[in-house]
Amino acid sequence: MVVLKENNLLNSLSQMGVGLGAKNQAFELLKGLEFPTRKTEDWRYTSVKKILKKKYVQFNEAEYVGLSNEIVPSLDAYNIVLVNGVYSKELSAVNFPDEIVVDTFPNAMEEHVSLIHSTFNGLAKNNEEVFTALNTSYFHEGVFIHIPKKVKLEKPIHVTHVNTKSNVVSNVRLLIVAGSFSEVSVVQSFSSVNAIECLTNSVTEVFVKENAKVVLDKVQSEEPKNNLICTVQVNQKANSTFKINTATVSGDFVRNGVNIDVDGENCTSEMNGLYMQKGIQHVDNHTKISHLKPNCISFELYKGVLRDKSTGVFNGKVIVEVDSQKIEAYQQNKNIILSREATMNAKPELEIFADDVKCSHGTTTGQFDEEAIFYLQTRGISKESAKNLLIEAFADEVIDKVDSEELRIWIKEKLG
Amino acid sequence: MLKVKNLHASVGDKEILKGLDIEVKAGEIHAIMGPNGSGKSTLSAVLAGRDEYEVTAGEVDYLGKELLELNPEERSWEGIFLAFQYPVEIPGVSNINFLKTAINERRKYFEQDPIAAKDFLKMVKEKSALVELNDKLKNRSVNVGFSGGEKKRNEIFQMAMLEPKLSILDETDSGLDIDALRIVAHGVNTLKSKDNATIIITHYQRLLDYIIPDFVHVLYDGRIIKTGGKELALELEDKGYDWLTKEEA
Repeated sequence: MVVLKENNLLNSLSQMGVGLGAKNQAFELLKGLEFPTRKTEDWRYTSVKKILKKKYVQFNEAEYVGLSNEIVPSLDAYNIVLVNGVYSKELSAVNFPDEIVVDTFPNAMEEHVSLIHSTFNGLAKNNEEVFTALNTSYFHEGVFIHIPKKVKLEKPIHVTHVNTKSNVVSNVRLLIVAGSFSEVSVVQSFSSVNAIECLTNSVTEVFVKENAKVVLDKVQSEEPKNNLICTVQVNQKANSTFKINTATVSGDFVRNGVNIDVDGENCTSEMNGLYMQKGIQHVDNHTKISHLKPNCISFELYKGVLRDKSTGVFNGKVIVEVDSQKIEAYQQNKNIILSREATMNAKPELEIFADDVKCSHGTTTGQFDEEAIFYLQTRGISKESAKNLLIEAFADEVIDKVDSEELRIWIKEKLG
Repeated sequence: MLKVKNLHASVGDKEILKGLDIEVKAGEIHAIMGPNGSGKSTLSAVLAGRDEYEVTAGEVDYLGKELLELNPEERSWEGIFLAFQYPVEIPGVSNINFLKTAINERRKYFEQDPIAAKDFLKMVKEKSALVELNDKLKNRSVNVGFSGGEKKRNEIFQMAMLEPKLSILDETDSGLDIDALRIVAHGVNTLKSKDNATIIITHYQRLLDYIIPDFVHVLYDGRIIKTGGKELALELEDKGYDWLTKEEA
């Protein structure tokens, strides 16, 4: 730890788990990296000071004293549960279909060593992102999901991350490899039970092979006073479809990074996000889609409601490379601010190097439509209910992007 | 039912209503006519409780209550309905869901249980037939993608659902073709009873061919300058407003 400044976060960690060479490399890399400050372009509006200062405890064994199946939401899904960052065999499902692989890295290594070696860490930007390097160095056993060629999974796989002790630091790692012509939907939920001051640092790598379809729904409902860094790295091959929906319901400090490399023609990519903040919560959504090949289409819709003294950041980067003709890329960010003390920083960044493209972006930040509120009041809907009705309608546009009705209902319940 | 006495109202520094008096009894239909800028829309906005308008003097008694003390939703619960000249589009809020919320909030105000789903649906079916409102429109977002005529029919549909005691129709005839006008008028006439009253605010006489008023008032420069029977509307259609406003000047 030469360059990395002495801080409590690093002192809390110890290396564990699988002997993947990548871990050691990342550990070495980490020595040359610094935590971002407000001067780091990508972290201009998000200070990590607060989360670095805290003291954390790292768990290396699954701990589920007093835990029951109740912590696993009753979605009709194949469940994988990580408690305090550690894979819980007891709470995870055993009924996975035979044709797919869902296991920890150490277990999966026995049979799938070459597939893991050719994919794991292939998309992670360890040398650019200190939290990714940290994750690679310190994640526990991780979870490997492989959907082989042509397999279409009917039910989603639900990966639950739950912290049950205060001050826990969880580095959780997920690798999803969707073979050609396969289809899978994965839900990643982040929550906590009677735990505060936790930090979850999650990295998910997703390989979407030719003609595959992958949907990733992230539901973030940490109790207040918890912190979450969520990085998703995606690589899409030709004719594939990838969709990610991120719902941030709660959490004191939430940073979401979504990076998609569209590395094949005729792909469809979709990124949607909803954040509803109150108190002193801070939510930062950084997205980046790189169109590396022609004839693709991408959609992006992020919407937020900010109350009290909450702060929000949206930074959406769209890159269209010089030979990527016939790209259509649409981006929208809309915010409603309900308090004078709430702040939103929205920044679309378009870098278009091809000339035959259709790209649009728009960002709006405003208050309620007073006309609409008065109209609803004259029909006998109280001002308070009218506001709630309008917030619900505003949020529904994003929630409706979630394919599963069950999940839509679950997200709405969490939003209250 | 409604007694307005010496009502003065302003927007910013500009006084628009300058001592308006009107009395409406149950079972009556009143038409308020007047040239542009006379204060017609201000009157409807003030009665519905829009807060951009400041009432500087006067009083409004509605069924023994001081109307100006109530906020817009309370006025609605007490039976006042305003059909908007420009109905507001509310994306994402379904017409049906919004009406159900409205009805249940009023029921709550009167300490009644929420309406049963079955009764609500029956009511929707019955009342939407009255204004020939298409099934698809009922489930769509409030007024979004509605034509001008559909918006006005939707206003009357809402009025039918909320069963008001006093309805104020603000330029409901503007932008309506003759068929839509007939449908809207049919809705209003069917809803008429000896217990409720209607104020029709309009620029033109043509709606009054279909909804026959008991009284016609001429509003000019913030005051009622003439009141008569239904024949006054025809006279206005024929002679315009000049003969009255000149007299006033």
